[in-house]
Amino acid sequence: MGAFQKDIESFEHLDTQVLGISPDSMDSHYKFAEELNLTFPLIADPEKKLIALYSDGRIAYLIDKQGMVQMVVKGMPKNSDILEKIKELEK
Amino acid sequence: MEKQLVYFGIMALVPLLFPLLAASADVQDKAPDFEAESTKGTIRLADYLGKKNVLLAFYFKNFTGG
Repeated sequence: MGAFQKDIESFEHLDTQVLGISPDSMDSHYKFAEELNLTFPLIADPEKKLIALYSDGRIAYLIDKQGMVQMVVKGMPKNSDILEKIKELEK
Repeated sequence: MEKQLVYFGIMALVPLLFPLLAASADVQDKAPDFEAESTKGTIRLADYLGKKNVLLAFYFKNFTGG
């Protein structure tokens, strides 16, 4: 999540809200967010409801303003690839 | 005869299981809406419609690097 924070201004500049999600508790999230100075929200999914809706594991979804999935990145995403895709969408 | 009925009964249930198996969202799918608690309050995906793109980043666990 620290990697997203590093480029958070670039994401915000391109009208993009970053949301981190893990099954961790809210308590753990608050501590984690504080340690990494995260300015974007961390969603707690202890019952794995979102994981059931989307997917399990390390995976990122880019959703456009119409609510459509535009990119799915498995593993550690490269911010530059995602930012490039957002620029395409904003055209 | 009874066996056949059981068999058809089971087969009739199979389509009901498909939404569970095919739940993972893919490119050009409508992103499933949700409402969840976050460190910045309750978040609804629908709130960003028409306003912002959303990068939904799933990860395994806090404090594990990445």
